[in-house]
Amino acid sequence: MAQMELAGNMYEVDENGFMQETERWNEDVAKAYAALEGVNELTEDHWTAINYLRNYYLENGICPMIRRLVKVSGFNLSRLYELFPNGPAQSACKWAGVPKPTGCV
Amino acid sequence: MKKNLKLTDISKDGDTQLTEINIDELIPLPPPYDNIDELPGFKRLTEDQKERLVCNLDGVVSYAALPKPKNKEEEKKYVEQFVSGLKKLLNRENNWTFLQPLLLSLDYCVECQTCNDSCPIYLGSGKNDLYRPTYRSEVFRSLVNEYLKPFGRLRAKFNKKDIELNWAAISRLYELSYRCNLCRRCGQACPMGVDNALITRELRKLFSQELGWAPKELHEKGTVLQLKVGSPTGLKPHVAKDNFEFLDDDFTEATGIEVSTPWDREGADVLLIHSAGDIISFPESPIAFSILCNAAGISWTLSSEIPGYDGVNYGVFYDDFQLAKVAIKHAQIAKKLKVKKIVMGECGHQHKAFMSVADRMLIGDLNIPRESVVTFLENIVFSGKIKFDPSKNDFPVTLHDPCNIVRILGIVEPQRRILRYLCPQFREMTPHGVDNYCCGGGGGLSVMSDVNFTDWKVHVAGRMKFKQVLEAFADQPGPEVKKYLCAPCLNCKLQFRDLFDYYRAREKSGIICGGLAELIVNAMVDIKQPFIKWEEFP
Repeated sequence: MAQMELAGNMYEVDENGFMQETERWNEDVAKAYAALEGVNELTEDHWTAINYLRNYYLENGICPMIRRLVKVSGFNLSRLYELFPNGPAQSACKWAGVPKPTGCV
Repeated sequence: MKKNLKLTDISKDGDTQLTEINIDELIPLPPPYDNIDELPGFKRLTEDQKERLVCNLDGVVSYAALPKPKNKEEEKKYVEQFVSGLKKLLNRENNWTFLQPLLLSLDYCVECQTCNDSCPIYLGSGKNDLYRPTYRSEVFRSLVNEYLKPFGRLRAKFNKKDIELNWAAISRLYELSYRCNLCRRCGQACPMGVDNALITRELRKLFSQELGWAPKELHEKGTVLQLKVGSPTGLKPHVAKDNFEFLDDDFTEATGIEVSTPWDREGADVLLIHSAGDIISFPESPIAFSILCNAAGISWTLSSEIPGYDGVNYGVFYDDFQLAKVAIKHAQIAKKLKVKKIVMGECGHQHKAFMSVADRMLIGDLNIPRESVVTFLENIVFSGKIKFDPSKNDFPVTLHDPCNIVRILGIVEPQRRILRYLCPQFREMTPHGVDNYCCGGGGGLSVMSDVNFTDWKVHVAGRMKFKQVLEAFADQPGPEVKKYLCAPCLNCKLQFRDLFDYYRAREKSGIICGGLAELIVNAMVDIKQPFIKWEEFP
């Protein structure tokens, strides 16, 4: 299993850098992921999306569909790509500390 | 790139790669995708990954968990397991399902190499010897002759063709079995009917069933998760239903017509089995079906029983047992609901698994009629029950032929009759129909994304297809003209999404990819707002 240092701590991650121990996530982890993708400050809009994704995952065991994220957050797809450079699945889910979506998604 | 790779090279220098992918050696793409410097490049393995992972094939790793033997004894154990698996493949008791076609494919190759030029991976790679469909098969054939036949090793050594069965050979064969889309274009080109895709899958099966090696996306997070929670996506029954409730409301608002989706209706005529990934990633598709079935007055239902709301069956890619377990579950659910027939959603491998392969397992009252989505939609469109205005689809449309629906099952025309009727600017790709190129995601590859495998898919496996799509729209290449690539298969759509995302095809060429049902709904007179929205695609 690969390891990765985020905000001064070591975490187990998959080969694409997604956290494998979602319960160890905290806000500093999200900030550290964001910095790696060139986003040095997380705004309120970032947290709205990250918190929604994370809470939905913890409740349902799966990330929400993007259409739902768009509806709940009020951000359209281009706004989401502005906030998260690699998009909702590759960036937002990763920053929220949930595993990479699997299956035909 | 190394040319003239020998069969014996597979077991030599086990710590080094046999080849490397260099973008400038691949078949060139048309502008504006021809400038290599403008692309993100090929993701190379880090030094740490090279240290930890098995990467002795082509610098690409599709399965990070492939174990490395710690010592000679462990290597010997893997070799013995491999030979034991090989024996089972060639034995009727253990492989009654596929023994006959396997033997025919082993015996009848005349090494004419005709098939190579039909393989989109080999062509896209710039004819890299490692990827010719015959390389893998010839190694496999040699191993069978050498290790299972009397005096085989001796004869091979005498001819200086002996392949040493060691860790290098086994680990490389494992990875190489996932450098094939199982599209069977080579099988179609072979004058003798040799099926290299079958040989590839038998190899994968050996690794999965004998050594326990299979991509985590196909096994652990694939069939295992599907049988446990209902879907490889992790979608549980109540979450699936909750998502549909959300979508029904959301699309009622967006389209102006009442959208509703029935669940678990016993005695309905039709059980429709979507792929759950469509619900999450392409929700317009399942909703389009709800709209069409209701408008055409069809008695239909979805199932919320595990795994009745996810028609995928990754077993067809790598493992006979998992294939059988999933297929039988699907049939049992239909039987319990007392439906007259099952309609498979827009998913190619579901068609192959359930319509043809599972035919030999579903006996007695489990042999419930199964219909392809394509003929089902054709009947709806031409039923006269829905009014269409084809001018609503007046944008360039081309059609991708999912290998499993078109080449494997021979369903070629129904989807074309729909598009000719509803899409004034429909144009074919060259070649198309049963001669199509695979999207590059076939054989399970579209759901695999470990380490740097996605880079291989967008550069090599999908290259011929991407080129072909661009050529189909060459009359209006600019992004100002909105274009639609119709791909009635979820796995194909996922591969196109990765391709279009990587090459920024929507931005540079205005191309999006969606299914067939969406185009039908978009042309409905009763739908007031456009159903297909380019801005909603990444």
